[in-house]
Formats: sequence, C-alpha cells, structure tokens
Amino acid sequence: MSQGVIIKVRNLVKDYGKGQVLTKALRGVDLDLVAGEFTAMAGPSGSGKSTLLNMIGGLDTPTSGSVEVEGVDIARLSGGKKSALRRDRIGFIFQSYNLIPVMTAMENAEYVLMLQGMKTAKRRELVAGVLAQVGLTGLENRFPRELSGGQQQRVAIARAIAPAPALVLADEPTANVDSKTGAALMDLMRRLNEEKGVTFLFSTHDPQVMRRARRLIRLKDGAVESSLEQDGNGPAPDCE
Amino acid sequence: MSLILRLAWRSIWRNRRRTAITILSIGFGLALAIFFISVAEGVYVRLIDQVTRTTSGHVTLEHPAYQEAPAVDLYVENTRPLSAVIRSWPQVDMVKPLVLGQGMAKSGAGSLGAAIMGVDPAVERMTSPLPGNIREGEYLSPGDQALVVIGRGMAGHLNLAVGKKLVLATNDAHGNLVEELCRVKGVFATGSEELDSYFIQAPLGFASRLFGLPRDAATRLGVVLKRAGDQDEILRKARDLVKGRDIRALPWQEVLPEVASYIRVDKGSNWIFQGILIFIVLFTIFNTLLMSVLERKSEFAVLLAIGTRPRQIRAQVFLESLFLGFLGCAAGLLLGGGLSLLVNEVGIDLASLLGEGVTISGFAMDTRLYAEFTLAGLFWPTGVVFGATLLLSLIPMRRAVRVTMADAMR
Repeated sequence: MSQGVIIKVRNLVKDYGKGQVLTKALRGVDLDLVAGEFTAMAGPSGSGKSTLLNMIGGLDTPTSGSVEVEGVDIARLSGGKKSALRRDRIGFIFQSYNLIPVMTAMENAEYVLMLQGMKTAKRRELVAGVLAQVGLTGLENRFPRELSGGQQQRVAIARAIAPAPALVLADEPTANVDSKTGAALMDLMRRLNEEKGVTFLFSTHDPQVMRRARRLIRLKDGAVESSLEQDGNGPAPDCE
Repeated sequence: MSLILRLAWRSIWRNRRRTAITILSIGFGLALAIFFISVAEGVYVRLIDQVTRTTSGHVTLEHPAYQEAPAVDLYVENTRPLSAVIRSWPQVDMVKPLVLGQGMAKSGAGSLGAAIMGVDPAVERMTSPLPGNIREGEYLSPGDQALVVIGRGMAGHLNLAVGKKLVLATNDAHGNLVEELCRVKGVFATGSEELDSYFIQAPLGFASRLFGLPRDAATRLGVVLKRAGDQDEILRKARDLVKGRDIRALPWQEVLPEVASYIRVDKGSNWIFQGILIFIVLFTIFNTLLMSVLERKSEFAVLLAIGTRPRQIRAQVFLESLFLGFLGCAAGLLLGGGLSLLVNEVGIDLASLLGEGVTISGFAMDTRLYAEFTLAGLFWPTGVVFGATLLLSLIPMRRAVRVTMADAMR
C-alpha cells in the first residue's frame, strides 16, 4: 500500500442490465484516497457517484476492476469478512439518515460498537463523548421520530464515526436538510476531519458541500472528469 | 445477543395495531382449538363412562366365543372368586356380573322383542346411570326376585305400568323354550329410544333362572374402573388372571365397537376442523411476519451495510416470530384454558338446542356438555402453533437478508 493511501480504485467498471438495456454506470474509474482527506464527488445525476461509493463501501460488486481498502482487495473477501470490514473500517452516512427507528439516539450511535462487542460502560462513555461532539447532548434518549432532520443526520454521523473508522462514506448527506442545517453539518464533519483525522468521501449535488471540500472530484458518464485540490473555503464551484 | 433481543422486541411493537391483531388472532384461534378439543374430549369421556357403566365395564370378561355369537350358553362360571380378586385391585371401582340374553316381553296388549339384562342391583345402583333414570316406581333392590324395570317406550307399547305383570319368554342355555312371569317395579326413561323400547333389567338370580344358568355364572363380568386411563393395565392384569381358563378379557372398544367407531370418526372430523383452524391461525402469523419483513427491507439493507452479519438479522426475525408466537400462545392458553376450565366445572346446557337430547350409538347423552380439562389438551395445540410459528419464520428470515445493500444508500 502506498504511503497513506487507504482507498485505491483501479479501472473500475460497473454495468447494470445486459444486451439492449445495458447501462454502463462506471467506465474504468481510477482513484486514490489518502488518509485524512476531505473529498467531495460531484457530477450530474447518473454520473456514477453513488455507484462508486457503493463499490468502495463493499455494498455492491464491480463488473471488473478492483477496489482496495487499506491494501485489501474487497472483492476477494468472504461475506463475513466484508461485513467485518464495513463494521470496523468504514462508516456510512446516508442521504435519508437511515437510523433504526426503534432505537434511541444513543442506541443508534452505539449500534456498531455493540456489534463489535465493546463492553457497555466503555461504549456508553465513548458514545456520550461522540454525541457531545456532534451537538446532541441532552437528546441521547430520544427516538429518531422525536428528532429533526438535522439532528437525525447528526446521530447518523455519530454512528459513522463512533467506531473510529478509516473512512466515512457519505451519500449526499445534506440533501434532505435545509441549507442552514446543511452548513452546520458540513462544519461538523470538517471539524471531525481536522480534529480527529477522520477521512471523508462525499457524493453531492450541493455547492456548499463542494465548496467546503479540500478535494473535488468530478464524475461524468461514469468516469472521473477532473480532480482538483482546493482550500475548502472558496466560492461554490459550478457543479453541472 | 441483548442487542438483537432488544431490537426484535421493539420491532414487533412498531406497528402496535398489527401486532395486537396478530396476537389476538393467534390467541383466539388457539383458544377455540383448545376449547373444542376439550369439549369433544369431555363428550368422549362421558360417553365412555356412561356406556361402560351402563353395560359391561371398561374391561369385560366373557366366554371366548361370546363376542362372535352371543348366546346364553356361553357363560363364565364361578364368577364370585374372580370378582373378589379383581375388586381388590386399587384401580377397580366395581365388578358387575351380568346375565344377558334376548327374549320376548309379553303383556295383554301385545309382545315385543327385548334385551334382558340380569344385574346385581346393589352393584348397579353404585355404577350404572340407569337407576337415576327411573321415572315411575323404583329401581331394583337386593333380594328382589320376579321384578323388572323397563323403559318408557316398552311400557307404552305393552300398556304396562308399575305393578303390572308381564311375561318374559326366551330360549334357555339348554335350548328349552321358557317363560317367567314378573312384575314391573320401575319405568326408566334414558332419552334413548333404543334403550327405552328394548331394554329390560332384572335381578341377577331371576335372570339366571330364566336363562337356565348355573349358580354363580354370568355371561359377562364387567370391570368398571375409577379412571378410564387405567384400562390397559387392568386389561393386562385380567388377561394374566384368566390365562389358561375358558375366559377372555376384552377392552370396551371390542365389546362396543360401534361406540369406539363413533369416537374414532368424530375425532377424525375434529382433527380436520382443528387443522383448518390452526392453518388459518398460522396463515395470519405468516402474513404478519412476511409483511413486517418486506416493509423493512431497506432497514435490513442499512443494518447489513453498517456491518450487521446476516445471521444476526435472521436471529432478529426469528426472535420477533418467537415473541409473537409466545404472546399469542400465552393469550390462547389463558383464554382457551380458562374457558375449558369453566366448562369443565359448570358445563354448558344445550337443552334448548337439543330438545329431548341426543343419542350416540343408542346411548342417551346428557344435554349439559362438560369439557375435559387436561394439560395434554392444553399444551399439544399450543405446541403445534408455537412450533409452527417458529418454522414459518424460516421464510421471512431468508427474505430479510435477501436485500440489495446498495439500495440502502438511496
């Protein structure tokens, strides 16, 4: 594994369907992601952002090509080992939050730690700290239905970062919240990136998210069109 | 495991109305099954009790050829010592010596074919329901000689009443045509047209004399048990006792095959009914489990995406089924068990529905139905429903993990 590279994508191809209805979602994507990066993927609908995130997260299998997470080709992992990789090394943040509705904010945030078998006392202490970091102190015992969209997404962020993963994948994390809440969420994730060194990879349509990213990858028709380093404080780039 | 338990328990309550309806459906269906099984069992128990006490006991000792061709010359001799041994067995309530034969009952108004049963009145008073069915006059007493009790139907046909004379004519054990004059001591009404028009009871000594049997002989020796469940043991002991003698011991099912057949057929139709009922209950459970899983496919996809193993998801769905099955079965046990216990104690009077009553294989049944409350009657249908619920969860368990995780990202 190259120094600091945690994700290595090589010649990644993903086709859906076959024959006349064959859709080429990814057409040979190459991508390296270094630890500590705060990267956004932009591109029009159908450009392959979500498909690429799914491949990197081991949620889907490529037609050809490879994805390595911390030097391990995930296509070669068994189902159990892939589950363990997702549980221990990758955090997920979804557009629709996707919290477990029958669990409180605390329980949602500690879910992955419970899967890892962490002792209750240690887990509670750790998760209380994470919830405080995401600004949810006092809301630990609320169920998702009792929280606003922004608060639910904060719980989802807490769930993603609590196990200290190597990488957090976020699929349009601000798409379902208003711009003010979206900005606050971006600030939060930037802070977690800067203070805790959590590596983030987003897909987004949101110029605000693109502006705050330190690297902006543009996808078009299933291929990387450009990859630009930026300071993360600039004006909103043209995303379409 | 506590995480999965917690998730499963909370998940079944996320749609409270559906869960409540499912639990009530299981409970109500199971309660019905338990109730009908216990009522049917109650009918069988009482029918068996009535026929064995009215006729020749739970176990019958008789001549080996009697069952195939009942005739008064096929009798058992020296019944007293045999009776004494059998009576000493703790499971035995009473031993009934019986002299059974066919004949004609004649009066000034006409004649009628009759089944004449010679009985020991003292024993009969303690075992048979017939003395309780006397409507006119009295039942037989020890020491009675040429006195008989007849049914209301026969009394009507022959224009007989208490104190009136009738003549019993028959062929005795030696092939002679014999007649005896006797008087009516009592008239019974059992509700069974067959018994009330055809059946005559006479004192044992009188019947023995009529049929020309030796002293202390009987065509049958009926062994009435305290508990019908002891039948197999007593049958085995009785067979050992009469081994090498010209006597054989039979269970009541062979002596009264038509009653045994009725119970078998009725049980068979009950099984079908219970089967349909339980199938409907299981279909409800299956529907709930499957719907509950299918509407949470994206949730399961998310759980898988964040690292939950498929076996943990399957365990969660299994536990949800277990909780639903347990709660439903508990409700069914309480409701069905309570209802059965109540009907076991007080019965249900169906006189208004059944009119003068029903007869089964010629035996009149009480119009008040009682349930037979047994643990087996409670737990086997419960076990079937609970076990089937767990089995049915296999399909939803499989469906829960057959999801596309990539969908979770949308």
